[in-house]
Amino acid sequence: MKRVEVKLNLEAVAPLLDVIKDAADDLKPVLAVAPQVPDHEEEFADGWKRELLHGQNTDIEAFLALFGSEFFLTGVVPLDPTNSEAILRACSAVRLCLREKHLKPLGDEALESGDVPMDAMPETQQKAFAAYVFLATLQELIVQHLDPTVLE
Amino acid sequence: MIRHREVQRDEGIQRDGSPRPLPQARDDERDKVVAETRTRQEPAAATITRPQLADIWRVVVLNDPVNLMSYVVMVFKKVLGFDEMTARKHMLEVHERGRSIVWSGVREKAEAYVFTLQQWHLTAVLEADEAA
Repeated sequence: MKRVEVKLNLEAVAPLLDVIKDAADDLKPVLAVAPQVPDHEEEFADGWKRELLHGQNTDIEAFLALFGSEFFLTGVVPLDPTNSEAILRACSAVRLCLREKHLKPLGDEALESGDVPMDAMPETQQKAFAAYVFLATLQELIVQHLDPTVLE
Repeated sequence: MIRHREVQRDEGIQRDGSPRPLPQARDDERDKVVAETRTRQEPAAATITRPQLADIWRVVVLNDPVNLMSYVVMVFKKVLGFDEMTARKHMLEVHERGRSIVWSGVREKAEAYVFTLQQWHLTAVLEADEAA
């Protein structure tokens, strides 16, 4: 994957960052998906979970680094071979968290189709849904650059 | 697992810095092991290091309502070494049947796969091969 600079609509994306950062904060001490650890002693299971959590936090740091001062000046986020996989995983973790925290009442079919009653939703849920869709779009974009054959 | 609106595809990948060595995908490993232990007639000392049937473990990926199909296909390709067709087949199996056995073989390698798939936030579990 070559370095890619993605120009985002600053006015559309900036308001979503609060709900995304809140989800990222929620994920600091907890895994997005509670893992089933193979049947081992407690110490092994703790180490397993600790390593997963460390990886998750590292990925989310890489993701949040996209939205620094440069982003607020230009709306551009840079994707390259050093951060793209971490960002993909971070998007997945944050989306899982957003669903769990804000979107579960909407139902998974509505989330998939995008057919949600935006006007009837509280503002926080609207932002969470918009962030959920934005992160999916970002994932699709990265997947397309990492492995174009997947999207054919 | 969901198909993203408007753009309809799938997923996949592998993680750098994995704490465990990433084994190569071998869909047929279980069958090979079964065949070897049934057909080889050697002294016990020669077969004792071979995997026994009870040592066969499955890596199973369960469906989830969040991860994109394109993401899952890409993860399967990167982590398990699947080609495009195999990755899509397993992704669809997860999506439609709720689970797919993506690898089977010795426990250590199976654990490594489960860990790596969990790093990608897929719901991966380890199961003993009941047939064993």
